[in-house]
Amino acid sequence: MKFAVAKIAFIVGSVVTFLAAPFALQAESSPEDIIKYRQNMMKANGAHMAAMGAVIQGKVDYKKDLADHARALQAINKNIPALFPKGSDFGGETKALDAIWQKNADFEKLAKQAGADADALAKAVQTGDAKVYGPKFKALADDCKACHKDFRKKDEAQ
Amino acid sequence: MKSAERRWIAAILLAGAVSIVEAAPDSVKQGEYIFRAAGCVTCHTDDKNKSSLLAGGRALKTVFGVFYTPNITPDPQYGIGRWSDEDFIRALRLGVSPRGEQYYPAFPYTSYTRLTDDDLRALKAYLFSVKPVAQPNKSHDLVWYVRFRPALAVWKKLFFTPGAYQVRTDKPASWNRGAYLAAVAHCAECHTPRGVLGNLQQAKLYSGTRDGPENAVVPNITPDKKTGIGRWSRSDLTYYLATGATPDGDYAGDLMADVIDNGLRYLRKDDVQAIAEYIQSLPAFENPLTKQKNNKKKSEFDY
Repeated sequence: MKFAVAKIAFIVGSVVTFLAAPFALQAESSPEDIIKYRQNMMKANGAHMAAMGAVIQGKVDYKKDLADHARALQAINKNIPALFPKGSDFGGETKALDAIWQKNADFEKLAKQAGADADALAKAVQTGDAKVYGPKFKALADDCKACHKDFRKKDEAQ
Repeated sequence: MKSAERRWIAAILLAGAVSIVEAAPDSVKQGEYIFRAAGCVTCHTDDKNKSSLLAGGRALKTVFGVFYTPNITPDPQYGIGRWSDEDFIRALRLGVSPRGEQYYPAFPYTSYTRLTDDDLRALKAYLFSVKPVAQPNKSHDLVWYVRFRPALAVWKKLFFTPGAYQVRTDKPASWNRGAYLAAVAHCAECHTPRGVLGNLQQAKLYSGTRDGPENAVVPNITPDKKTGIGRWSRSDLTYYLATGATPDGDYAGDLMADVIDNGLRYLRKDDVQAIAEYIQSLPAFENPLTKQKNNKKKSEFDY
């Protein structure tokens, strides 16, 4: 009996592995999918910044959620350059500028700063002291702006 | 007797000197505040070429050609070091150089004219406190039909109303402060469509333009709900002007980011609130400017 169960389990396992293989092997995603993915990540980035900003300004009283937002920001900003692989600058609709790849060192530096500042923010929020986390929030906000200044396309006319 | 007299005169001179030194920081401080609000540094410093603070040289590309901003450090030869207070007031109030030359309105004296004498003197005091830089000015590279400077006198007759800000007694003090600061910050200069002669279209003030500086689309900031910022609350707008964050959490990286980083973020909160109060009191004007996909709300996150 025991042997039969193990056998069935092995067969089921093999079948699952076989079926899953094509998906797992699909390493090449389309530029459109990468662009969509990073746009969603940036949306999340913006949403958490807006939510935190509303709490910090005192518009809403969700102080207890600050740590969650900060953790999310920390996760999203951990590796921004990974969202911009070479070749993800065409195909779909993107505001990513060529400068990201042409001046890659500058871009990486700004992204690294954002990662470090998001880490610092997550730590600062733990203190529960607005005087501590307020400036860290501002620092991360400045990183967003700095990167958009040089690496994001401006709005186009109709 | 004589030496006593001399000592007495020396004492008066010394007292005078001391009082000048003591008086300076206040007006310099006031001037620095106006300097921030007026956003002088953004045009008068050539950041891209890492040039010195306020030494000019930044290229402003316009439909009339390229303007190179002048050196406004107190260098006596290349800057404004030899200007008197009267020279300075005349330049910003009337758009005329100390030598009597007409300025192009790329220099927004059309807005700076609203500055009070007191703030102008303070602004000059601040500018004279920065490090002089001996960097010569570059001449403008303009299309032929605007090269004749005296013709600007005619332009001014048509489109320029000089004079310091006149308080509107039917409005609250905060509104007046906001209107004054909006003039100093010269918001309208970028946020208003221009006519063929480069004049601001007064009927469409603050309704945005597709032909902004550096080919930028400058948004409609009238309270129109569809194409302006009518959906922003007072605190949304105040927060944006101080930080650059939109209500959706986006951080714009356009020219406005420079305006905020170099200037508006240094203003007192009540002053930023006053600007927001004034902007929100403008008449709404529908003027769609940016691409909108299938009439869906445009996402600010199309990275």
